[in-house]
Amino acid sequence: MTEFLLTLAILAGINVLLACGFNLILGYGGLVSVAQPVFYAIGAYSSALISMKLGVPVPLAMILGALIAAIASIGLSLPSLRVSGDYLVIASMGFQLGIVHIINNVEITGAASGLSGIVSAVESPSRSMIYAVILMCICAVTIFAIRWLVTGPYGRAITAMRNDEDVFASLGRDAVRIKVTLFAVGSGLAGLAGGLYAHYFLFLTPDQYGIFSSATLLTMVVVGGAATVRGPVLGAIFLTVLPEAIRFLDLPIAVMAPLQGALFTGLVILFLFVKPEGLFGGKAGGGLDAWQGRDTGGSGRKGVK
Amino acid sequence: MLSARGLTKHFGGVVVADALDIDLMPGEIVALIGPNGAGKTTLFNMLTGFVRPDAGTILFAGERVESLASHQRARLGLARTWQRPRLFESLSLVDNLMIADRDYPGERLLEMVSRPWHVRDSEIKGRERAEQLLARVGLATRADGRSTRLSYGQQKLVGLARALMNDGRCILLDEPMAGVEGRTVETMKEVVRDEAAAGKAVCIVEHNIGFIRDICDRAIFMFNGKIVAEGSVGDLLADKRLTALYFGSHQ
Repeated sequence: MTEFLLTLAILAGINVLLACGFNLILGYGGLVSVAQPVFYAIGAYSSALISMKLGVPVPLAMILGALIAAIASIGLSLPSLRVSGDYLVIASMGFQLGIVHIINNVEITGAASGLSGIVSAVESPSRSMIYAVILMCICAVTIFAIRWLVTGPYGRAITAMRNDEDVFASLGRDAVRIKVTLFAVGSGLAGLAGGLYAHYFLFLTPDQYGIFSSATLLTMVVVGGAATVRGPVLGAIFLTVLPEAIRFLDLPIAVMAPLQGALFTGLVILFLFVKPEGLFGGKAGGGLDAWQGRDTGGSGRKGVK
Repeated sequence: MLSARGLTKHFGGVVVADALDIDLMPGEIVALIGPNGAGKTTLFNMLTGFVRPDAGTILFAGERVESLASHQRARLGLARTWQRPRLFESLSLVDNLMIADRDYPGERLLEMVSRPWHVRDSEIKGRERAEQLLARVGLATRADGRSTRLSYGQQKLVGLARALMNDGRCILLDEPMAGVEGRTVETMKEVVRDEAAAGKAVCIVEHNIGFIRDICDRAIFMFNGKIVAEGSVGDLLADKRLTALYFGSHQ
């Protein structure tokens, strides 16, 4: 039972990193992307393979995995955002499908049967306990770093960009640069989460990183409260624990799997309509409202007055 | 200072700008007048990079800028305001201005991390300048409040102050007087005059004839996407033909 709870805590920690990263992209950057799980995958596979094949120490491999994910994200965001934010949605879908397809078909990643034999980060009888503590520390550092990022000079720029992007540009501020940066930081966090997953669970399969994973992350951010610091943290914990709690209901697997899917998608739709600021958002000026409230409307150069 | 040649823009079959030439000189206040729909704001949008002209060149501070993005032109010292104040509502007034500092290292994450002292320095200087500018428009005491608590005229003044934060060479004002009344009228005039006196090129789209007469050195009259007359404010206002165009020819 302790082992189960520790594993759950580790999963929650990994999801907190993923959701916080996705929140930087979706909530603060206003960038609609479905590709967050792909950067999770890139981080996981890179870190696992770098440590396995090159003998690089695990912590360093994890950092390299995060960096690779961040750099890969620039390859997706920069060309799309140069054209328009709308292209990013489509480009991210293609990117998601493409990378998962590659992982599924390349020998080095173990293809569809998965990658095993990954080096463990911690070798100890109380491995789970140590790992849970490490993860909590990483989460705490991440949350404080994000708080620092979204307040202060950089946060001022993000807020202004969300309020009115045209005016923001007219004052000499580069919105594309900020969006690409937020996308890279968010993807880097996903990459780090990937490495942390890989070196604890020691087994990766490509089907973990599909569209269902995108939907789960979206739910965590939206239900918790996009564009707030604590929202995605609490959303991630809540939605990691909830499915496990449902498991205790002892329903047959044929009911369970669809129930979880319906629950997640249902929650997103419910929250977008009823409580767009999220469960833990609350304060005005946060949440997705800041985007809806800007006065140039969704896209394009129309209405420049 | 700023000199555009042959700026042309079609929206579908409609010509909103037809080979426009415009020159703005340091220290001069130019009025851009004409009826609604004449293409005045479109001209501003082309000069500042929000509308891409189909043809034409723009020379600003010795550089060709027609293919630069809006933010790049702003960083060369080209500032503008909007018909509506368009303040950042989630930010305080002083933050509204600080974000408009021409070089704002706080928007670059790498610099935030690698040169924190430089960013801190620029924050302190930026706040000082922002507070001075707010004092110039008589809103020093409201610096830490939100824009939503201000009157419309006061919001326009903050919009002007925010554009001045750029401290560039040229400033384009889109209907600065629309919705402005009372004491703010004099403040607006005074600030614009001071800017020109400090050597900035100023261009104003405005319908308030009194304001134009009081502060503008030269006027350009636009109609249907064309510049139809250019000269001293007095001459243009005395021209019966232009009055007819402005108010509709049947009068």
